[in-house]
Amino acid sequence: MEFIFETSEIVLRSIFVSGLATILASAWSLPLAFLLLISESKIGRILQDIFNSLVSIPTVVLGLLLYLIFSRSGPLGVFSLLYTPCIISIGQAVLITPLMISFLTSSLGKVKETVWETAIALGASKFQASITVLKEGCVQLVRSILVGFNRAIGELGVALMVGGNIRGYTRVMTTAIALEVSKGNFDLAITLGVVLLITTLAITVMVRLLGAR
Amino acid sequence: MKHYKLFMLIIFIAALIITSTCSCPLILRENITVLRVSTTTSLYATGLLDMLADKFKEKHSNVVIQFIAVGSGEALKKAAMGDVDAVLVHAPSLERKYISEGTIGEGTIFAYNYFVIVGPKEDPAGVKCLSPEEAMVKIFNACEKGVAKFISRGDRSGTHVRELMLWDMVGLNPKGKTWYIETGSGMSETLMVANEYRAYTLSDIGTFLKFKNKLNELTVLVDRGDILINIYSGYVVLSSKNIGLAEEFIEFLVSSEAQEAIGNYGLEEYGQPLFYPIVGSNSTMIKNMWNVLSSESS
Repeated sequence: MEFIFETSEIVLRSIFVSGLATILASAWSLPLAFLLLISESKIGRILQDIFNSLVSIPTVVLGLLLYLIFSRSGPLGVFSLLYTPCIISIGQAVLITPLMISFLTSSLGKVKETVWETAIALGASKFQASITVLKEGCVQLVRSILVGFNRAIGELGVALMVGGNIRGYTRVMTTAIALEVSKGNFDLAITLGVVLLITTLAITVMVRLLGAR
Repeated sequence: MKHYKLFMLIIFIAALIITSTCSCPLILRENITVLRVSTTTSLYATGLLDMLADKFKEKHSNVVIQFIAVGSGEALKKAAMGDVDAVLVHAPSLERKYISEGTIGEGTIFAYNYFVIVGPKEDPAGVKCLSPEEAMVKIFNACEKGVAKFISRGDRSGTHVRELMLWDMVGLNPKGKTWYIETGSGMSETLMVANEYRAYTLSDIGTFLKFKNKLNELTVLVDRGDILINIYSGYVVLSSKNIGLAEEFIEFLVSSEAQEAIGNYGLEEYGQPLFYPIVGSNSTMIKNMWNVLSSESS
């Protein structure tokens, strides 16, 4: 019974932490991606390239950087955020930002190609045209959030480095799986792995259904 | 154009508000003291520490103990960075270094057990029941002949430090040899690699016993010899804000209640204890061994 309680707590914490990370990342990724898309300046395109290449940043490298920054002897140590669920959310948000931006700029780019010129030609202002792009690209927005969430919840390096895998506090599904493997409880590790897959699958299906409607 | 800028501004403000409101409840801390302890994986993975922490909490209801399980090297590094209040480690030579740097105070030995040299059941190097030093030489020679392999942790953990010390004591250097495989991961992963390669490796007895049923190819070959003693010490991190509480926790580890729990831990499941309590043992001898081990260069 206690086992089920602890497992479900870990699952819920994972969803909460990564969900918060996705909200944070969306909060700055969506407007930023849109801004990059609308602006046709050189800097915008360079920024897009930078974000595209940052998509594949190793999670442990990001985790280490965040650790050094948020460690008590680091520049942001005064906030004492290290080894809290909050810092995992922040780290995961940073992690999925390039992914979301690059996903958005490429998918919304296609929408923009078809809609933008038509809207302008029909006499829409730039603002109205932007709204149209967002309306047409609503499904893409939702999908980018979904992709970001799935990347965040399946990520290990950041959660382990800055979260510390503390029982009942910062232990999420991926770090719990790593721990159970090192304890030799392969059965429990597999169980958690299946739960992780089912969770992401369920959310994928749910959002897909929402998007399709 | 004006509208468009306004639109962007609104989105940015909304983003800011969402960001701050979401992080607020997490930043506000509850009214409890958090004691952070970085610890070696071999202690944590056996489940001993969670059990001890629960006992400690019975007396200190407003204290939450958070364990961060990493290798001994990383655990001490985290202490030097000021991110933890106490450390529980088993790498005497590293410990001495951090004591002399003023990161941690004087240590308290609270438990010990033995490292064991494990290897394939066929034992191609023929080291069964030899002394640790003789065994290392034989393993080296067998590996050079190509009939055996050696798996090293390679992660500056307490076990790795001890393994390097053993090589150093017999005057051999396996670094760079093709048969010397460094996994760079925890004890359990390293044992699994050794099992797959049918290779020799150095392990703490606790982790080996815990994993025994998954390691069909491996068996304990050498388990005698003072040099294989594995000493676990607790330290207070001097830069900690909760230094009083950290001291209390370390003292608790050598209290009769905790010591009894350590001695009985795993007795039922594995037929022998995973750790031996320091109280009731020959503590002077162990302290002397610690001194010998800590003055070895790592």
